[in-house]
Amino acid sequence: MNQTAPAMRMSAAGTPPRLSGFANWADRNFKWLLVAPAVLLILALSIYPLVFSLVVSFINYDFQVPGHAFVGLQNFERVVFDPVARWSLLLTAILSGVSVGIEFVLGLAVALAMVKSFPGRGVVMSILIVPLFISPVIVGQAWTLLLQRPFGPTNYILGALLGQDVTIGWLTESPWLYISLIIADVWQWTPFMFVILLAGLTSIPSNLYEAAELDGVGAWQTFWAITVPHLAPMMLLALTFRLLDAIRMFDTIFIMTGGGPGTSTYTASYYLYTVGFTQFHLSQATAGSWLFLIFTALVVTLLVRRLLKVEAS
Amino acid sequence: MAASRPVRRVRRGAAPIARFLLLGFFLVFVLWPLYWMFNTSVKPSDDYLATPPVWFPAQPTLIHYQAALFTYRGFEGLVNSLIISLSATVLSALLGTTMAYSLARYDTGGKHLSFWVLSQRFLPPIGIVLPVFLIYRQIGFYDTHIGLIIAYTVFTLPVSVWMMFAYFRGMPRSMEEAALVDGCTRWESFWRVAVPLAAPGIVAAAVFAFIACWTEFFFALLLTSRTAFTLPTVFRAFIGFQGAQYGEAAALAIVSLVPSIALGVLAQRHLVRGLTLGAVRG
Repeated sequence: MNQTAPAMRMSAAGTPPRLSGFANWADRNFKWLLVAPAVLLILALSIYPLVFSLVVSFINYDFQVPGHAFVGLQNFERVVFDPVARWSLLLTAILSGVSVGIEFVLGLAVALAMVKSFPGRGVVMSILIVPLFISPVIVGQAWTLLLQRPFGPTNYILGALLGQDVTIGWLTESPWLYISLIIADVWQWTPFMFVILLAGLTSIPSNLYEAAELDGVGAWQTFWAITVPHLAPMMLLALTFRLLDAIRMFDTIFIMTGGGPGTSTYTASYYLYTVGFTQFHLSQATAGSWLFLIFTALVVTLLVRRLLKVEAS
Repeated sequence: MAASRPVRRVRRGAAPIARFLLLGFFLVFVLWPLYWMFNTSVKPSDDYLATPPVWFPAQPTLIHYQAALFTYRGFEGLVNSLIISLSATVLSALLGTTMAYSLARYDTGGKHLSFWVLSQRFLPPIGIVLPVFLIYRQIGFYDTHIGLIIAYTVFTLPVSVWMMFAYFRGMPRSMEEAALVDGCTRWESFWRVAVPLAAPGIVAAAVFAFIACWTEFFFALLLTSRTAFTLPTVFRAFIGFQGAQYGEAAALAIVSLVPSIALGVLAQRHLVRGLTLGAVRG
């Protein structure tokens, strides 16, 4: 019993005698018993459904067409050749890319502004993180109340500021409805970037900045030479986590535009939702969700690989 | 923790005026929708379309709260949300803690098992919810509390496991080893020694699991209808505002955001760990 690794030390620690057969067995397999419930639950409600949906995507599973005949790749073809599907994937990429980009820049700016102490900083901090604890449905609702005509005050305020009548249909006219969706996303998730980047900023050793100041290095140069390289792993982490959530965008669209007008605000999730749950083409929707899953997996491997590399170095 | 702890003596570029302008602008941006929603929730219906808009209702009213809770079944949604979120939170904390302990102390399954759990966090829900919907219809879990509780437990497990994994990793193991040497079983050294020591971490993980369940919409929308519906799904009634229920929508929103914001602000020193699944100690 001379193992050096701490994990080994714990598993090898002396088993007390006076244990019944079962208790003895349980003690020996303790580490597996501990993970079993969680693993079984994930297998039952995540892995099994995934396998099941793979089966469904190769057969006919449609509430409008009877029978479950094998149809090969037909369900996949329907999705791939559906212009709405392609548009929704493109829109998902554009909306999440633009939102996450704005959130990153704004979050970094606010984090830089918050890093130094000032009176009332604690209160400001508590207010700034509030959007993180609100359901996206309510965020969509809140912005609907602000933007929807004729109730919302936004056009009135803009009119007063610009000195002329403003009659923008924020939730009905392109491009304003995209801007509205992005604003709602930015409102909710800029604090996410800000919190993580602030944690990163506060962990940069302050003597680096003192040295830079002694050497007379300018603020801008200090930012690029010290802040950015030290913050890089944190930036990548924040961007990765945020992007992987952003491509699921559904709730705010459901509340604010309902995908409309027409199909103009369909994101990938929204498209698959309508195919599966309002048109009841379930097998087409599962085929589409597998394609989306593969697309997500590619993004994940790409980003997480980079992330692990940066963390390792 | 560092997120709420300011760094002193550090001289950073931005001029003070620009800093405070930016913070001021951002504070207004964050608070404005919340204020307008609160304002709408207590505003008499006659003031809805006034020009200029009514910024401070002269005669605030609570009738919208009453209508949202009882006419639009918001109260039932609230009760369902509480039952489902609390049950899923307890299950998730329990299973997450046991699994995380095994991963952290016994290195169970090596890197693969822990990363497999993490990968569940990044699965798009739409890929899971369609087949789960079909399975739930078959086994009678559709539109039941237990069905959504199980779904939420699985959906919050990756966060619970990873937050607790990081917590146990940061905890010295000497106490548990001492307990083993003194003749405790492994279970006793886990349950009687490690769990009480990790209590603050478990509470923090549970708070984030609760907030995630409380604010969740997608699973609830697709896996429930008239019985086990949660608070966020009640907002479907207000889409399009055919009857212009602005006040009711706002009132329900205010009711629903109070618990999660209160919990979130109370647990804010764990926020960085919560958002990054324990990857950043903050």
